[in-house]
Amino acid sequence: MHKSLKVPKKATPYLLLFPIFIYYAVFWLAPVVSGVREVFIGMDGGFTLTENLKLMFQSELFSESVLNTAAFAAISVILQYIIALVLALLLSRKFTGSKLLMFVSMIPMAITPTATAILWKTGLVKDGWINSLLMNLHIIDQPIVFMNAEGFNAILLLIAIDTWTVTPSVMIILIAGLQGLQRELKEAAYTFGANKWQILKDITLPILKPSITTSVIMRMIAAVQVWSIAVMVLGYSKAPFLVERIAFYVDAIPGVDTSTKLAYTYSFLTTIVVLLATVVYLRVSNRNRIAGGGEEG
Amino acid sequence: MSYLEIKNLQKKYTANGPLIVNDMNLSIEKGEFIVFLGPSGCGKTTTIRMISGLEEITGGDITIDGESIVNKLPRERGVSMIFQSYAVWPHMTVYDNIAYPLKLQKLPKDEIKRRVEKAAEATEIQGLLKRYPAQMSGGQRQRVAVSRAIVVEPRLFLMDEPLSNLDAKLRVTMRTELKRIHTQQGSTSIFVTHDQSEAMSMADRIVVMYKGKIEQIGTPMEVYQDSATRFVAEFIGTPPTNFFDASIIKEGKEIYAKGEGFYYKVPASLHQALADYVGKEVDMGIRPEYIGISPQKKEGEGYLCDAEIDFIEPQGSHSILITRIGTNQNVKIHTVDYMDMKPGTKVSCYVKNEMVMFFDRETTKRIK
Ligand SMILES: Nc1ncnc2c1ncn2[C@@H]1O[C@H](COP(=O)(O)OP(=O)(O)O)[C@@H](O)[C@H]1O
Ligand SMILES: [Mg+2]
Repeated sequence: MHKSLKVPKKATPYLLLFPIFIYYAVFWLAPVVSGVREVFIGMDGGFTLTENLKLMFQSELFSESVLNTAAFAAISVILQYIIALVLALLLSRKFTGSKLLMFVSMIPMAITPTATAILWKTGLVKDGWINSLLMNLHIIDQPIVFMNAEGFNAILLLIAIDTWTVTPSVMIILIAGLQGLQRELKEAAYTFGANKWQILKDITLPILKPSITTSVIMRMIAAVQVWSIAVMVLGYSKAPFLVERIAFYVDAIPGVDTSTKLAYTYSFLTTIVVLLATVVYLRVSNRNRIAGGGEEG
Repeated sequence: MSYLEIKNLQKKYTANGPLIVNDMNLSIEKGEFIVFLGPSGCGKTTTIRMISGLEEITGGDITIDGESIVNKLPRERGVSMIFQSYAVWPHMTVYDNIAYPLKLQKLPKDEIKRRVEKAAEATEIQGLLKRYPAQMSGGQRQRVAVSRAIVVEPRLFLMDEPLSNLDAKLRVTMRTELKRIHTQQGSTSIFVTHDQSEAMSMADRIVVMYKGKIEQIGTPMEVYQDSATRFVAEFIGTPPTNFFDASIIKEGKEIYAKGEGFYYKVPASLHQALADYVGKEVDMGIRPEYIGISPQKKEGEGYLCDAEIDFIEPQGSHSILITRIGTNQNVKIHTVDYMDMKPGTKVSCYVKNEMVMFFDRETTKRIK
């Protein structure tokens, strides 16, 4: 028997992954832990369970930011999925011009958020390109003052911009799913008498469901974190969102003690919301899968 | 009029493209098990997709019971298709997979249940009805696909290489199984394969296809023993037919086939057919089991030539001997008499039972 440095077999993978653990500990876990800790340290430096949360609940525009975030996330994800699905179904079949249409529909993906904001801002001002276009087409007589949009209208405006930006990437995921779908699965349904709508409803969409579920979660998380277009197009506090509040307290009124605390607390809340959204969605989609599969027999 | 008639059927995928199916004519009787056999790319799938209604036809007609089906939707044709990939829907249980075609027909629930259970019983998957396809083996998924196809009680079954994704052993068991279900259901079936032994063992009649054309239609015995073209003789049988270049020579009353290394006296039964070919080049074909050998010098009736055995491939029940005759370096001989012959043995080769075939060089058709 020769003796050498022997590593137990089970430890090998952990050993190999060790650098990754370190990386996460330093660059991810540490900031998260210290961020969460801040939420439970009061203004006087002692532990507190609710002081900062109270501060947040009572802060200006808190309930608006919660409601706006919820409305934005729900409406934009649903809207983007419907548009993306229609586009994907159209573009995944071949017709003259489908390549060109696919190219055009993907342009928004190539534009950075800042450029998107500028593009829309120049369009939305009183004498911007959107108003001149609408007036030239005689859809409106008077320019619309988009930038004055407030409350729900402001949210709708941002949803429109976000949808324009994000829909192509959702569409790509759906097209990839559609093209990966075995042709024979649909043909089998067709030979048994299913029409196009039934094939979509009974075969295509249910089979694509796992990839749709994943991308919906990703989209929701991204939607909850919306802030940059809101600030860049409308400015701070015009359309308050959770993450917009964080940026507001860090960026617009820095240096004040309560600002820092509020920024940490809003971050904490956002994280919790994202986590909850994910858990709820996974639960629901899982239940659907079981119910959908075992309805009979 | 036959049950299913295919008349001058043609298919082009593009207006100026090649004819993928080239003037196909075929009649099938009710209850027959027909196998389309041919190499990959010869148009088998295209043909049954045209019958099923998944592919438009370019020309010709297809009738079932005297009624043209080419302008009908797939479900109105009364055909069921079993795909190579099985195409079992992964998000549905076995029960739902089989029930779906019936749900589309809006049948009452209890009738659906009764028919699904009957179909599952016929394919012996009653115990799997609650499973999802991902929880089953390839063979079980195959049975689900068959169940789903029989549950609609079709007028015609179409199967496109249904066994080619199974492992070798299961493939052989499923042959028998599919044949049993076919007989039990009293159905009419078209089965597509590129595997000639599968075709031979299952078919009532084989339709041998090559480059979009039918080469021969016949029972397994007919296509094997009485091949109509050079392609059929080459494609059917393992090992395939041995071919030799030969020229036809007339000497007095006798006709000889002369090739490099042999001078074969053609049996009288072929004299009349070969009369037009005197002085011409033809292809001569002899199946491996019709080349006889004798370790002693033996010239006489059927004598072909002398040869030296190069290799021996024992198969247990028989052996395959490999030798050279003229320009053919890979002549295979099927023997049960000399199974343990040593390489290097010198033998006399002769044609057994006058089982020699001649083929026209131009048309590749059998001369007989
Ligand atoms: N959708 C299609 N478009 C163009 N050509 C096709 C299409 N499907 C098949 N082909 C061509 O038709 C020929 C016959 O194909 P197929 O019917 O699939 O043959 P098989 O099933 O006998 O292997 C092949 O050369 C193939 O490339
Ligand atoms: Mg094929």
